[in-house]
Amino acid sequence: MKELIEELKKQIIEVLNLEGIQPDDIDETAPLFGEGLGLDSIDALELIVLMEKNYGIKLSNASEGKDVFKSITTMAEYITNHRIK
Amino acid sequence: MSIYINSIAHISIQEPMSENWFHSPIMYRENYVRSIEPDYSAFIPMMTARRMGLVMKRAIATALKTIRETGIENPDAIITGTGLGCIENTEKFLIAMIENNEELLPPTAFMQSTHNTIGSQIAVFLKCNGYNSTYSHRGTSFDSALFDAVMQFELEKISSALINSHDEMTPNYFKLLSKLNYWKEGEISEEVLRDGKSKGSFSSEASVSFMLENSKSKNTICELKGMEMMYEPDIEQIEVCLNKILRRNNLNINNINAVVVGVSGDKDNDDIYTELLSSILPQKPVVWYKHIFGESYSASGLGMYVAATILKKGILPKHLLYSKTCTDASTPQNILVYNHFQNKDHSLVLLSSCNN
Repeated sequence: MKELIEELKKQIIEVLNLEGIQPDDIDETAPLFGEGLGLDSIDALELIVLMEKNYGIKLSNASEGKDVFKSITTMAEYITNHRIK
Repeated sequence: MSIYINSIAHISIQEPMSENWFHSPIMYRENYVRSIEPDYSAFIPMMTARRMGLVMKRAIATALKTIRETGIENPDAIITGTGLGCIENTEKFLIAMIENNEELLPPTAFMQSTHNTIGSQIAVFLKCNGYNSTYSHRGTSFDSALFDAVMQFELEKISSALINSHDEMTPNYFKLLSKLNYWKEGEISEEVLRDGKSKGSFSSEASVSFMLENSKSKNTICELKGMEMMYEPDIEQIEVCLNKILRRNNLNINNINAVVVGVSGDKDNDDIYTELLSSILPQKPVVWYKHIFGESYSASGLGMYVAATILKKGILPKHLLYSKTCTDASTPQNILVYNHFQNKDHSLVLLSSCNN
């Protein structure tokens, strides 16, 4: 799980172009949206694309997304249980 | 109705947001040169900038500089010229489409992949709800945007306008244009470009923003006296248009102190300028700028910037002279900017000094 969390941090920095932010700067338990990294709805779309492209996970239920994208830890847990890649 | 250029900002292959090129230009030997980037953190918050491609950052930064200098936070019009729009994002989006079998498309690149993204993002950033339009006519995109503004000023529909033009050049697009002989091969130099006997120029990028107003300010750079655009004109038609601009301002051809032209080292391009200059404007000092700013679809915006800077400073530096000698030793008062793209679209802009 720790390895996946680190991998996710790097992918998020790259996909969302978070210039000047290092993986260590991101608290994996902090909220991704609003507070914490302060991401928005366009970033959510980028994260959905990231999950499908890299882990083969299709998020079709929008309400499910709220829980999955709470933090990097919840993302990693969801990926661990549902990944097909 | 008078139109004044009250602020200009550029990001190009010369030092960005600076007039150092006027006395000490950077000269290049490569045929593909990217712009020198300023520190964007002085203009755009990091979390906003992260979603922007280079051309967007350049557009916002140059727009903001003109706004800060003039205090016009909400111009009546934002009019943009761009030949290629956000080509970097367009490529990103198209490559992702191919690589992912038309699925899993990155939304950010898609959102910013159109030509009018630039003008609309500036408006969103400034919270400006006024007139907003984008012209995409390759090498006369800037001219078309400017012409729109001039007509609206003349109709008294606007009192201020942010006119801007932006083009980036990606490695992919550079290669595509190379196949059409857009670029010279081998080492570039002023002599090679001046020679003008072969095809192609050298590729660069340009972002330039102008704040135009119908009133003078303490920072006014020069006055825009008139403009005409023509499609596939012959020499006589260009002469008629020029005389129209001059007559409207109670001037004649003798009052023009210099002509700024888009000579680029490309034989086909340069021959058109040479023909016009020898027929209509013989003996006039000829100024070029593409030997220091390079060729891009937004280059004509830099041509007007060069002319405006000469008028503001009241001198014509030797390194900008295309003609071998300058017969006119007087302080430049009126400068004609002449641009054409592939001998189809032509534009004439007359700028006058406000120093007196």
